[in-house]
Amino acid sequence: MTQIPNVAIGLLSALALAGSLVAAPRAHAQGASRLAVGVAAAPHTMDPQAADVDSNMSAMTNIFDGLVQRDTAGELQPGLATAWKRIDEETWRFELRKGVKFHNGNDFTWEDVQFTMERLKSPHSEFRNFGALVASVTPVGNDPWVVDMKTRGSVPFFVQTLHMIFIMDKESTASRSEGEVAQTPIGTGPYRFVEWVKGSHLRLAANEQYWGGAPAIKQAEFRAVAEPSTRLAAITSGAVDILQDVPVALGSALAKHPQVELVSRPARRAIFLGLGNKPGTPTADLRVRKAMYMAINEQEIIEKVMFGRATPAAQIPDPPTVGYSKAITRLPYDPDEAKRLLAEAGYPNGFEITLTGPNDRYVQDAQIQATVAAQLARVGIKVKVDSKPKSVFFPQVSRHELDFFLIGWFDGSYDFGRSFRQLLHTVDEKAGYGATNGAGYGNPGLDELFAAAEKTIDPEKRAEALRRLNEATMEQVAVIPLHYQSDDYAIRKDRGIRFTPRSDTWIVFKDIARSGS
Amino acid sequence: MSGYVTKRLLQGLVVLGIVSFISFAIFQYLGDPVATMAGQYATQAEREELRRVLGLDRPFYVQYARFIGNALRGNLGLSYVARVPVLGLILERLPASIELAFAAELIAVAFGVVLGALSAAYPRSWFSRITQTGSLVGISLPTFIVGIGLILVFVVWLGWLPPFGRGETVPILGGAWRTGLLTASGLSHLVLPAFTLGMFQLAVLFRLTRGGVIEALQADYVRTARAKGVKPPVVLFRHVLRNVFIPVVTIIGLQLGQLIGFSIVTESIFQWPGAGSLLLASIFESDFPVVAAYIMTVALIIVGLNLLVDVAYALLDPRIRYG
Repeated sequence: MTQIPNVAIGLLSALALAGSLVAAPRAHAQGASRLAVGVAAAPHTMDPQAADVDSNMSAMTNIFDGLVQRDTAGELQPGLATAWKRIDEETWRFELRKGVKFHNGNDFTWEDVQFTMERLKSPHSEFRNFGALVASVTPVGNDPWVVDMKTRGSVPFFVQTLHMIFIMDKESTASRSEGEVAQTPIGTGPYRFVEWVKGSHLRLAANEQYWGGAPAIKQAEFRAVAEPSTRLAAITSGAVDILQDVPVALGSALAKHPQVELVSRPARRAIFLGLGNKPGTPTADLRVRKAMYMAINEQEIIEKVMFGRATPAAQIPDPPTVGYSKAITRLPYDPDEAKRLLAEAGYPNGFEITLTGPNDRYVQDAQIQATVAAQLARVGIKVKVDSKPKSVFFPQVSRHELDFFLIGWFDGSYDFGRSFRQLLHTVDEKAGYGATNGAGYGNPGLDELFAAAEKTIDPEKRAEALRRLNEATMEQVAVIPLHYQSDDYAIRKDRGIRFTPRSDTWIVFKDIARSGS
Repeated sequence: MSGYVTKRLLQGLVVLGIVSFISFAIFQYLGDPVATMAGQYATQAEREELRRVLGLDRPFYVQYARFIGNALRGNLGLSYVARVPVLGLILERLPASIELAFAAELIAVAFGVVLGALSAAYPRSWFSRITQTGSLVGISLPTFIVGIGLILVFVVWLGWLPPFGRGETVPILGGAWRTGLLTASGLSHLVLPAFTLGMFQLAVLFRLTRGGVIEALQADYVRTARAKGVKPPVVLFRHVLRNVFIPVVTIIGLQLGQLIGFSIVTESIFQWPGAGSLLLASIFESDFPVVAAYIMTVALIIVGLNLLVDVAYALLDPRIRYG
């Protein structure tokens, strides 16, 4: 959405901050139980199944509950299910919470769960892939508060995904048109829907009957502010209490503002470079892949391109993801060794390759591509950069037609198996493997390790199998990892806000507290 | 007269047809909506299935014919992203854009005409030199610089005005229109974006008025009026301005349609929940139904305004023939 050249932003924001230091503090009319959060991306829709992006689920999680939920650290906690266990490879058993009511007064029952799972398969849903994995939802025996969910085949990440599947009211959803459902949400969550002006704001009011206790913040608001310079003004002027996604170029400057505190945590999303290995291409040779990895100076990218707002990554998953391995480290930055490896592989003078990537998706995405190209040029690899809008780039990824591309990834199910199946498994349209494998990478050895992990039911053993898969993936340089982005929040100091950023970047108002202002 | 209006109406319909065809043809290159609609974990087979369900696998002319057929029956479809009816989405946003456009035009007329007239009346004064330089700045500065500059001064430094959004709105006309003009919060939110959007028009009107007034001040009737002892302000505002106003009104009419339809940059800077920011977001999200319906709506407004201007001309100026 950025219309404004970076230079202008930098210049004006510097002036703005200099000025705001002398500006008189202003009184705020807001009460202690109100809170407004400025977000870069407004929720798209009020249909909790119609968008699988975090910016939307962040809003939905306040209105709806899943069978499970995740706490600030990313750990699974009970939601509308009080307990669950995996009975066999294809069956998961849930005990449902009793006495929960939807905002319209309807009781929450197992039929709502069944309805929600069935609706995932509709064309309105962006969770169709997950919905297709659910075979049935049925109560166990005569007890309507215990249900079994059967999956099609083994779905090890099943319960780990359910925090994103928000339970909808069967009666009011089925009886209203899709347009109305997507306009006025009815959930069981800690907040009731008040008003949504698309692209502007979403207002919520505390659900005093919430099963988890009435939330402390009574009036909550998401406010969309897309332009970086306007977002700066939003937090310095106090129009919002918390600003999510501090523009990367403004982070260090904003930290000096007397009324604003900057809170950061490493983002879940890793940015990395995908690389094909079709026989006969230079990148099919492991030595070439290693050379390209070692020719990239990630420290320089973080300092010069990311303004220090990133941490180096050595693998695709982030620490809370099942399959993350502490044992993996980055290959050292060593252009001389890279040149030696290239010569050994038969490319003493390098080769030509095209690096494709989005220019409107990730923080500084096009700039990273340009920097990578310049760094690879230093070891003789001529990189043609082809940055383009995400709406053009991602279809190319799903056609597996790229040679070398930049992409970001984190797994919503916190499961490296699911990431591998999607990103790096040999493309198999029928089985649904490798749908986001943009360069058509394939490695039978890795596929075997993946298959073994999928068959494992015991969570501990499965985690171990996924760690092995992850380590092998990086030994083979299946991708070149770059960095984890940084999730940066600016918080007004004068409002007594207690806020801990979540790993999934969702804004969960019931977990935020305010003392008197 | 009715024959003339009918003819202009038919011409307008042809324009709408061409506009819709071109906008539809462009969609083929705007990106693939199915890529996001199917979800990030979708397989290729699931994407193709969804494409078939939505009819996006059909040839472009079939999709176009179906779109026009549905549109004629008043059905513009559901947004691919918000999943709510497109028409409601646009009608909900248009009031914000229209209020912003009218406020901007009002500011442009009020300041542009008055300052222009005064500047022409005292061409050698400091005031005249300052406003003339100012108008040059107003014409040449890009909107986003004006917008950010105003935010910088009035929000960040002075803290007088809110930085973004539309403030509190209240429903009028039975809830069909949400207005920000009736609340203090709504009005304070309107000031900066209206000035930003109106700045260019203000400068244009200033220069137009100034030029016209300087010319008119040489005219015989002015000398006569002065000789008769009419006070200078009366000469300026009652006699001269009336004669200068005809081209000014024409420009105002032509500008208004543009302001309503294409205030995209101003709306994005101030996060104004109008139709312009909706268009921008929809283009980025490959939300074709919204883009198509939006372009049609704006074309309808501009064609309608032009028709009104033409009819008004015909009524005002007998030299224009109906035919």
